[in-house]
Amino acid sequence: MSSSSPKLQIDPYERGWMYFSLGLLAAFAIAITVAGLAMGIQLPGFEQRVDPRTVDTDPNSPWSKPGLREVVPGKEYDAYILAQIWRYSVSEQPAQKELEVPLGATVTFYITSKDVQHGFLLQNTNLNVQVVPGQVAKLTYTFNQAGRYDFICHEYCGTGHAAMFATVVVK
Amino acid sequence: MSEHDDHFKPRGTIAILAIFVITIIILWGSVYLILLQRGATQ
Repeated sequence: MSSSSPKLQIDPYERGWMYFSLGLLAAFAIAITVAGLAMGIQLPGFEQRVDPRTVDTDPNSPWSKPGLREVVPGKEYDAYILAQIWRYSVSEQPAQKELEVPLGATVTFYITSKDVQHGFLLQNTNLNVQVVPGQVAKLTYTFNQAGRYDFICHEYCGTGHAAMFATVVVK
Repeated sequence: MSEHDDHFKPRGTIAILAIFVITIIILWGSVYLILLQRGATQ
């Protein structure tokens, strides 16, 4: 038996490609860590379960009276939004399609569905979640720019899907 | 003469790969910066 172990022969281009692949993995790991831990950009988490059959009729359910709740006046709000074919309930008034908050307000959205799977995409923000019957999605965002932020359903939910949207108005 | 001196040098393949990598870095980087710019979700 020889005293020297055989050296592994790797083609230079193959070695370079291996280093590049490792560098790519490291770059993605750093990017995800920075976004998730340093910038607070995370996937929406599962919040709680509800009964979709009674979520809008049970008086103890906050979605029986959807809309904004002021937590800290002018600064923090909770928004209870109920998705259903083919609209978002953002108020006790079915025709209302706007939520109005002041500039700089932090809004926590609690969204659920009473029928089929819907989506929630708040345009020009990182808020994007599937709205599943029986589950509550929780998302928080601070509105530092005035304007109108439409949120749309981005999960096909039937013939009226294309018209399913509402708006956050930041003044 | 070492084993690698007469190694085939795939310059065309490397050039195509370089263009691909630079394109991906630009596209992915721009989307990543938009993500950071849009702010926290928690």
